[in-house]
Amino acid sequence: MLALDPRSYGNEKSAASLMEEVLILLLGCISNRGYKLTFESPKNDKLALFQHGERAFDHILLLPQKSKGTSSPANVDDFGLPNPGLGPALTPKLLVQFINQNGNILLTLSADYPTPTSISSLLLELDIHLPPDRDSLVVDHFNYDAASASEKHDVLLLPQGSRLRSDVKDYFGGDGTIAFPRAVAQELGNSNPLLAPVLRAKSTAYSYNPKDEADVVEDPFAVGEQISLVSSMQARNSARFTVFGSAEALENKWFDGKVKSVDGKDCKTANREFAKQIAAWTFMELGALKVGRVEHHLSSITGDAAGNDSVAQLGYLNPTIYRVKNEVTFNIEISEYSYDHLSHLKIDPSDALQLEITMLSPYHRLNLIPISQTPNSTTFSSTFKLPDQHGIFSFRVNYKRPFLTNVDIKREVTVRHFAHDEWPRSWEISAGWVWIAGVWITIAGWVAFVGIWLWSEPAYEQSKGKKMQ
Amino acid sequence: MAVEVLEPFLKGDTGRNTRGLLRLIILCTIAAAAVASRLFSVIRTWHPLGRVTGGTLYPGLMVTSGIIYHVLRLLSMPVDIRNICVLLAPGFSGLTAFASYLITSEMTTSPSAGLLAAVFMGITPGYISRSVAGSYDNEAIAIFLLVFTFFLWIKSVKNGSAMWGALTALFYGYMVSAWGGYVFITNLLPLHTFVLICMGRYSPRLYVSYSTWFSLGTLASMQVPFVGFLPIRSSDHMSALGVFGLLQLVAFVEFIRQQVPNKQFQTLLRGLIFVVFVVSMGVLVLLTVSGVIAPWSGRFYSLWDTGYAKIHIPIIASVSEHQPTAWPAFFFDLNLMIWLFPAGVYMCFQHLKDEHVFVVIYAVLASYFAGVMVRLMLTLTPVVCIAAALAISSILDTYLVADNPIPTETQSNGQATGDSVKSATNMIKDSLRSTRNPVLGIYSYISKASVVGAVTTYLLLFVLHCTWVTSNAYSSPSVVLASKLPDGSQHIIDDYREAYYWLRQNTPDKAKIMSWWDYGYQIGGMADRPTLVDNNTWNNTHIATVGKAMSSREEVSYPILRQHDVDYVLVVFGGLLGYSGDDINKFLWMVRISEGIWPDEINERNYFTARGEYRVDDEATPTMRNSLMYKMSYYNYNALFPAGQAQDRVRGSKLPAEGPQLSTLEEAFTSENWIIRIYKVKDLDNVGRDHASAVAFDKGNKKKKTAKRRGARVLRVE
Repeated sequence: MLALDPRSYGNEKSAASLMEEVLILLLGCISNRGYKLTFESPKNDKLALFQHGERAFDHILLLPQKSKGTSSPANVDDFGLPNPGLGPALTPKLLVQFINQNGNILLTLSADYPTPTSISSLLLELDIHLPPDRDSLVVDHFNYDAASASEKHDVLLLPQGSRLRSDVKDYFGGDGTIAFPRAVAQELGNSNPLLAPVLRAKSTAYSYNPKDEADVVEDPFAVGEQISLVSSMQARNSARFTVFGSAEALENKWFDGKVKSVDGKDCKTANREFAKQIAAWTFMELGALKVGRVEHHLSSITGDAAGNDSVAQLGYLNPTIYRVKNEVTFNIEISEYSYDHLSHLKIDPSDALQLEITMLSPYHRLNLIPISQTPNSTTFSSTFKLPDQHGIFSFRVNYKRPFLTNVDIKREVTVRHFAHDEWPRSWEISAGWVWIAGVWITIAGWVAFVGIWLWSEPAYEQSKGKKMQ
Repeated sequence: MAVEVLEPFLKGDTGRNTRGLLRLIILCTIAAAAVASRLFSVIRTWHPLGRVTGGTLYPGLMVTSGIIYHVLRLLSMPVDIRNICVLLAPGFSGLTAFASYLITSEMTTSPSAGLLAAVFMGITPGYISRSVAGSYDNEAIAIFLLVFTFFLWIKSVKNGSAMWGALTALFYGYMVSAWGGYVFITNLLPLHTFVLICMGRYSPRLYVSYSTWFSLGTLASMQVPFVGFLPIRSSDHMSALGVFGLLQLVAFVEFIRQQVPNKQFQTLLRGLIFVVFVVSMGVLVLLTVSGVIAPWSGRFYSLWDTGYAKIHIPIIASVSEHQPTAWPAFFFDLNLMIWLFPAGVYMCFQHLKDEHVFVVIYAVLASYFAGVMVRLMLTLTPVVCIAAALAISSILDTYLVADNPIPTETQSNGQATGDSVKSATNMIKDSLRSTRNPVLGIYSYISKASVVGAVTTYLLLFVLHCTWVTSNAYSSPSVVLASKLPDGSQHIIDDYREAYYWLRQNTPDKAKIMSWWDYGYQIGGMADRPTLVDNNTWNNTHIATVGKAMSSREEVSYPILRQHDVDYVLVVFGGLLGYSGDDINKFLWMVRISEGIWPDEINERNYFTARGEYRVDDEATPTMRNSLMYKMSYYNYNALFPAGQAQDRVRGSKLPAEGPQLSTLEEAFTSENWIIRIYKVKDLDNVGRDHASAVAFDKGNKKKKTAKRRGARVLRVE
């Protein structure tokens, strides 16, 4: 176990795990980037992930370990089952709690070492399935390292940089070849939407148990691209959990090793580059979005980007109440962290950052357009007309993409109806002219009638006195 | 009470002024008593739709208290607006007593009748129930307006004066702005007019007063935003319009008849009136069918068919005030007046002037409505007070005379009795033997003393009853419950306030609270948090949504809660204390109301056992036991009792050994006596599981590894 201490974005400390063969290069690489490493063995009684209820580490790197079957009474997990390897400090519950408290975990598996039940039940919770047999590994008879595994075909050669989807940012790209020796296959279930495979096996690969199924494989655990060799889970609080299928691939031997492909070509491995990408992504150095200013105001109150301060001073910024049919401008500033600095966020043309104006269900869903850009951030904006419906609306930016931290910004505003003096006056409505004319004609007619009645002279003078009563 | 005793002594030689002054003092005392008897009680926004306050509310109450507040400030009396709101209802009850004095004085020449009516109105429990201190409700001012509008109407019909008619319209407009019950006036005045016309009592007085009232009153009522164009668009108001039209026709015919004394012409005119009437009725029906005029509102139908509301508009039927009245309630609220009432109405028949016709119609309609809905007892109370006062004053005027009557025609022994005897004699003539030689007076002092004594005893008993009812039934606040301990000391159960203050101090300002609508105003006022629905039940669908969330399974409810941004859910549970007004007892109404909107998803039958019982114990149906309301009420309730002995003291049943499990909500607060339980709505699971498996994981249940797969693989597609 390895504790990491970074200067990376938002992190204070980091963690590590333990393995007898230390992966000097990887760890050197990590410590070079400013993490403070703490090595701990699960057997250490004093190991605790939490101190005073807070995380003691920012990140955990779990490496497989050899202690096969040495279960002491202390090494019993929550469920009272013997737990090969991981002690009471690393139960699935505590690891989930670590993730829930924003800690990141990079877990490495190896076919050479049995996966602790603690880990496999944690993975099962996350809907990541491991082969039922402990010794299973992935082979590919078409893409293997002819130099080191010409017989067993269990060192896979995979090209770097296959993107998951075209609209997903490519954080694990490159054009090298990754050597993946003795990998543990992972199969991702469909029920957890937070999972995303980082590296998938080629379509000719399959997983089998070399001990039981040496002769014939009838029903392999997983085949082809369903095998995920490196999988990631980004929790809703953006904590990251990465499963790396082959701990051996991180060893020094493969970091700068040479491999020979099936068709006889020699090439260098890109494992160092890939490991760097994986560690950087897991430990929040890549793909971490930061939301800066979120502003909305009436569009009629203009102000260039710099002039917003004066808008704010006037108290027109982020009002809590609007009227129906108001023109409103919404701005959001987002930056993306990349290794050591904040940079501006660029969104792929096939993707869009969207703003929802929603009450129970969205009334508008609008694309936010980048309007200005600084070296450290991009400001996206949209101007729209509020719907003709009063109520408590939210302006919501809900941007959740694989490998990017979640952006879920919600601003509640009250949208009121027209006040009694905000309607057009009666004479401004042309359809009302008929009625207005009718009213005035009636009044004039009445006055005229009264006038004529009063001033018209009675026909007979003599009876005037009697009539007057 | 002093009135009857003093009246004879004042009769003889004391001047009119003294009597007038005394009457004024008595009236003031009555008003003061009416106010004072109401002071012994303790005071007691729709997310995310929002509610347009002006358009969903009768503004009269607020405007009245606002005006009083500003006037007092103008007079350099800095009174807190809250005090005004608290004392508004008692203050107006004093005015109501005065108004009933006025209207009763119009009915009879006996001055004691008015004073009696004022006393009755001042202390009758039927009115006190809605006008104690702190009951800041529309009815607080509406009953005064009702009685006073009727007084003005009587006055204007009597005088045929446009001024009184205009005043009637003015107070009618005030009434419209104050209470939805104005429809009662809107229909009662036309009915009175119609009956008078049918009785052949058309007069220019009637024409002037009705036309003035209708035109000005309709215009005034249309100024209230909540009412708007209803007076010309809804069926409830059409009778007033129809009678107005009829009155014009009748007036026209009268005018023609005076000009042209031709018998055949008159027959023609009568035919004309009939044809016009039929045609206009046809047009009315046509307009209603085509939708130009809104059909009768559901509340109206529920007045005629008591079962209508339960089926079609459960939200109305769910209110306890809208249930049919039980017989004891009449006696409880009106006491001796309930049997004096028919006597008073009978005496109106004896005179049967225009104003007596009004009282008779009012009495008939109001008694019917009061029988349909508990709440409408309020409209019955004034006419009962008037009629009872007429009856009692007539008895007292007859018997409480010291002098012996002289048996001559002109001798009067109490004017009212003399009048009644005369007119009764005229009307019934010789048809009844007993009226051939009318009794002219009471000669025996014994009979006088015994009758007067009996009446006085009744009246004293009435006062006793009113005091008892007021102190026991209507002076306890609904928020703080009081109970008596075995040793007789009082025990205060303050769970509501405890829970509301918990909400106020422990939740974010913008936390949305979902509860049944009964508690909406209280949460809004005392906890200062937005609620989904409140007591202003203007949007049935939204209330049904809350009902659906309460009565469905967690899996169905949770998306509803999320969609409405609900942070906390509040339920009232009386099982521990035996508090029967809790949510499980109201639960069927939630089911019915939501069934009205989603008949496919909610079915009332599923909440009853096969034998049709509503149960919460082992035999409760799965639908019942899986409903959110059931789970929230009984969650962790078992822990209070030894294993398997959990008891619900309201339903008197033993609960299942294993309590319900909640996965999407977590208990946040339970008050001291478990009356209020507040649950926090969980966020989505952080690592993407469903809530049930997350809870199972937290409890330490290991997830089963998927055994050998069966069937085709489910492949993952990115």
